[in-house]
Amino acid sequence: MMTSIWLDMALAVIVILAICLLGTSRLGSIVALFAFQSSILAAVPFLLGGEIGIHKLVITIGTLLVKVIFIPYMLLWAVRHVSIRRDSPGILGVSTSLLLGGLLIALSFFLSSKLVLSGKTFSGLLIPSAFSTLFIGFLLLISRTKAITQVVGYLVMENGIFLFALLLFETTPLLVELGIFLDIFVGVFVMGIIMNHIQNEFDHMDTSQLKSLKE
Amino acid sequence: MILVVSVLLRFVACLLFSPFLLGVIGKTKAFFAGKKGPPLLQPYYDIVKLLQKSGVYSLTTTWIFRAAPLISMSAVLIASFLIPFGDFKAPVQFWGDVILFAYLFGLARFFTVLAALDTGSSFEGMGANREIVFSCLSEVVLFLNFTVLVVLSKSFSLSQMIGDRSWASWTAVGPSLILVIVSYFMILLVENSRIPIDDPATHLELTMIHEVMVLDHGGPDYAFILHASAIKLFVLGSFFVTLLIPFQSHSLVINAAIFFAGMTGLAVVIGIVESVRARLRMNRIPSFITGAFVLALFGLIIALARAS
Repeated sequence: MMTSIWLDMALAVIVILAICLLGTSRLGSIVALFAFQSSILAAVPFLLGGEIGIHKLVITIGTLLVKVIFIPYMLLWAVRHVSIRRDSPGILGVSTSLLLGGLLIALSFFLSSKLVLSGKTFSGLLIPSAFSTLFIGFLLLISRTKAITQVVGYLVMENGIFLFALLLFETTPLLVELGIFLDIFVGVFVMGIIMNHIQNEFDHMDTSQLKSLKE
Repeated sequence: MILVVSVLLRFVACLLFSPFLLGVIGKTKAFFAGKKGPPLLQPYYDIVKLLQKSGVYSLTTTWIFRAAPLISMSAVLIASFLIPFGDFKAPVQFWGDVILFAYLFGLARFFTVLAALDTGSSFEGMGANREIVFSCLSEVVLFLNFTVLVVLSKSFSLSQMIGDRSWASWTAVGPSLILVIVSYFMILLVENSRIPIDDPATHLELTMIHEVMVLDHGGPDYAFILHASAIKLFVLGSFFVTLLIPFQSHSLVINAAIFFAGMTGLAVVIGIVESVRARLRMNRIPSFITGAFVLALFGLIIALARAS
């Protein structure tokens, strides 16, 4: 019972942080919020209950190393390097994207009530929060214009997928999880290089301006 | 007899303790700024000083201007009877008192706004305008918070909504509660015109929201306004503290100590928020309130998902 309440709390905080990300436009805070979200995510495997095996340890330490230390460090380096501090609110205003976030949360609760799952679900909140985090990450990805925020949106989406994958925790081989870590690692690395190139080529990081043609 | 004494004690505690919260906020801000700051009891000195002065009234104002501070003061005092202060039960409780509670503050605000318009000053009209716009938004969120608590407690009375908590209820409905608490804290800042919404210590009329409306009040009227805003902070804050801390101890003294320590802690937290945050630009304030709205909505969805 006690594990369940801490699990529910952690899940609620993860979604709260996703909402905070929607309402923030300062790049430094965005990266910090993401790191905080990932650090809570790293604790979730232990809150699921059950015995503590090598599998859980590897996942938690991997999340801590990659998502809490390495990626935020690299993103902060990028923020310093390109010397921009703020993202524009994007095509949606802050209020609209926050309200959309609320709608998406409602949608994910509706979706997960319709979903028929076999096997353990651990907590009634796990699947809705996985969906919410996924959707909010996607909203960040499509509504913001600066490349760094888009990378964070992608990573928040990945956090949602991570939560969902916890359902299959006991049956997934460790190798798959390690492969996912490698994917994120390489993905962010490539995006970092692309961001750098956009910056060098156009003197800004606004991806919405890539659509306009230049002579 | 015991009932009368306890009600009187509550009333006196509310009157006497509330300016102390403002003092604590001021001291915390001074500490963060590396200053000595005004003494902890400064709000009391201010109120006593103002009460000894005589009022000065502009010739363009009517009775509304004179009545408004008294009405605000009495409205918040009546509201203080509806809410439990920690373990001290509310003397007045009935089905639906939560709506009366919200609109007593609405009444106080309405008369403050009318008095501001009564002076005919363009600055005060501007302040009244802003106050109404932002309170329209925050009222929605406040009621959404109440709705979550109604769903959780299945009761429509303020005392049962927030008072009947135990540690067991935290383990059962923790996620909803934590969302309501964060969302309510944001609304607490809006309602009491604290930073990041409004700066109570500002001296520039163009950036004020609440303070600009009371510029023309002086003497005892201003003392009432200051004291009423302190009591408002105390009453809304006690909602927060009672909701956050389940009072389980059977000793009345310990419960009272926990409650007043909680209130002081809340004042310190508000002081810290005011020290580390800058005031939001006017056009960002609706986003802040929308954030509180989404959090409360999320809490409501979780509560409903549990209930169904």
